[in-house]
Amino acid sequence: MAYSELIKNFESIRDYMREFYVYGFRRRGEVGVRSARSYDNERRRIESWLGEYMSFTQSASGRAQFLSVDSRDILHNPFFQAFRAKSFTDKDIILHFYLLDLLGEETWLTFREVVDGLYESYFDKLDHPPALDESTIRNKLKEYVALGLLEQKKEGKSICYRKAKSGVDLSSWEEAVTFFSEENPLGVIGSFLLARKKSGNAADNMAADDAKDLETAYFRFRHHYMLYALDSQVLYDLLDAMSGKCAVEVAVAGRRRQPVRKYALYPVKIFISTQTGREYLLAYEYEQRRLSFFRLDHIKSVKKGHAEKNWESYEQRFEKFGKHLWGVSAGQERRSEHLEMTIAVCAGEEYIVQRLNRERRNGRVERVDEGTYRYVTDMRDATEMLPWIRTFIGRIVKLECSNPAVIETYENDMKEMGELYDL
Amino acid sequence: MIFSEVYGVYFQTVAEILACASKGPVTEKKIREIVEREAFAESVLTIPAALKDGRWPFLDKEGRSRLKQEPGMPLTTLEKRWLKALLQDVRIGLFEPSCEGLEDVEPLFTPDMFVYFDRYADGDPYGDWQYVEHFRMVRTAIKEGRRLRIRYRMRKGKECRVICVPCKLEYSAKDDKFRLLGLVGGHGTTINMARVLECRFLPECEKGAKLPACEKRKVELLLTDERNALERAMLHFSHFEKVTERLDEKHYHFLLRYDKEDETEVLIRILSFGPRLKVIAPEEFVGEIRARLERQKKLWAL
Repeated sequence: MAYSELIKNFESIRDYMREFYVYGFRRRGEVGVRSARSYDNERRRIESWLGEYMSFTQSASGRAQFLSVDSRDILHNPFFQAFRAKSFTDKDIILHFYLLDLLGEETWLTFREVVDGLYESYFDKLDHPPALDESTIRNKLKEYVALGLLEQKKEGKSICYRKAKSGVDLSSWEEAVTFFSEENPLGVIGSFLLARKKSGNAADNMAADDAKDLETAYFRFRHHYMLYALDSQVLYDLLDAMSGKCAVEVAVAGRRRQPVRKYALYPVKIFISTQTGREYLLAYEYEQRRLSFFRLDHIKSVKKGHAEKNWESYEQRFEKFGKHLWGVSAGQERRSEHLEMTIAVCAGEEYIVQRLNRERRNGRVERVDEGTYRYVTDMRDATEMLPWIRTFIGRIVKLECSNPAVIETYENDMKEMGELYDL
Repeated sequence: MIFSEVYGVYFQTVAEILACASKGPVTEKKIREIVEREAFAESVLTIPAALKDGRWPFLDKEGRSRLKQEPGMPLTTLEKRWLKALLQDVRIGLFEPSCEGLEDVEPLFTPDMFVYFDRYADGDPYGDWQYVEHFRMVRTAIKEGRRLRIRYRMRKGKECRVICVPCKLEYSAKDDKFRLLGLVGGHGTTINMARVLECRFLPECEKGAKLPACEKRKVELLLTDERNALERAMLHFSHFEKVTERLDEKHYHFLLRYDKEDETEVLIRILSFGPRLKVIAPEEFVGEIRARLERQKKLWAL
């Protein structure tokens, strides 16, 4: 099949983009399990969409392609572009423009009038009119009603159609959309709104092109993780099920290329890390009868299931469950681990106490004496706290935990670091 | 469905060409220009040809649009539901969008569906009317190139007054804070929006003011891939410009570029990886890590 920069299926490109962005050092033969040709095609596509952000390193073992951006230097998440590369047929684009041109916002047209209108107003005037059967037109109308681009009503035995009214003053939304397209978990939808140009009736005065934006935009984003964008479809499907209090069946990729496994779940919350950009689903696992976390970037597909009658009990279960979470490790559901960390704070270093209070998530901060403060907490899985605890290296006076593995790991890490830096 | 051709670059680019062609004939050169500006790098190989050979029969022989009006696509239900959901975000008050047209729309999600588990607890007070007023004034000042007299509380509690040319509002999802980046006396300055006590427009304008470029620094790291450290580090630092090279099955050389003002933050984030990340250059950075480890050794000798 001839190469095209557009794609039918998002799933394979999702893996490649993650690969180029997260790792960026793997050579052609090391990326995924697909063929070299497949790699070349996907790389070419990504270059076509995001050329300015792609770089490569060359070494004796080959050339490694990678995606790298400083998130402060860009205004729009580049991964959104991938969602704008869906392939389509000639019939799709022909019907898109002619149907939306034919149908007005006021007058209803029956299906017959739509077909006749398309031929009389447009196709009959062409040297080579497209071969469109009625079922293709009917399916397109149905699809556009589902998308909300058209409205339909039944009149006797006929179904009538008209163009939907936007009715939204998008110019009043310009700044909000610019901000939330980068700061909302489904910001990709905002990027569609921003992409609408002045020629589109619905989106007058939306943002202009990127170069001008960057110059004139008054927002800038710090700690801005962008990879989550690739999981937008999965997130959308989960939120859709959550809105309807429905169960889902999710297909999850196993670690180290293990086969995909399916889980029957009731989705409870979406957990988002502002420090890595990772997103997780917290869900009730029907089979194991427990709450579990699933990384969204490991979820391959989501299938909406039955409306869950007991949704309240699962959501209430979270209220208790969530109290002693540090991150996304459920630990032992019926047990928590006690941890106390005492740190030294010199005069004029009140910002350290502020840091403890700001970053502690739960538990409490106590003043021990003039130069010492203690953080006390109970957690489901205290080992999850170790990276945060290490950020206080140079101040930790005492660390105690009911889980001895936490102290052991900390001590071993400190010894190893001492060796690493020749201390 | 988010992944749909109606949001695609091709449909949008063709719409742009047809909008132009509805005003008068478009030349091949003009079509190419629009495609190069709006679409992907290789779209120039497909879109102009499809329009020219009649596969997409939207233009007559002179290059005029065959449509009766300029192309226009209404908002989809997905787009409306997303906008409706934003109305429940605490930060929406900063922007004053119109709710018109969204009355009968179901929000796509509600804020309680999300848990930002590692977000800092002292985010900005988005419900405080004074904060909102200051935010809007800064926004107006940036757009109109106006100068502001700002009174604000500094980190240690002292008050400060400055005349500032605001240039950008910087948001951090981790801190859940806005910071004003601007010029004071020609020098770049940063003010936390939540610390602004008073804000007044000054009559003078200073259009086109630009922030001085941030001094970039780099740190070289040696990563040992244990306990999934490779993936964790790659994601954790993914918002920085970085280059990674594999040295052997377990070790990676990792070069990170960051703004000078982020140095302390970068340092403690590197420390959070423990022995999995070793700073190898520059020497001053290595010295800073060593000093912290030495202090730690004195506090708690293992």
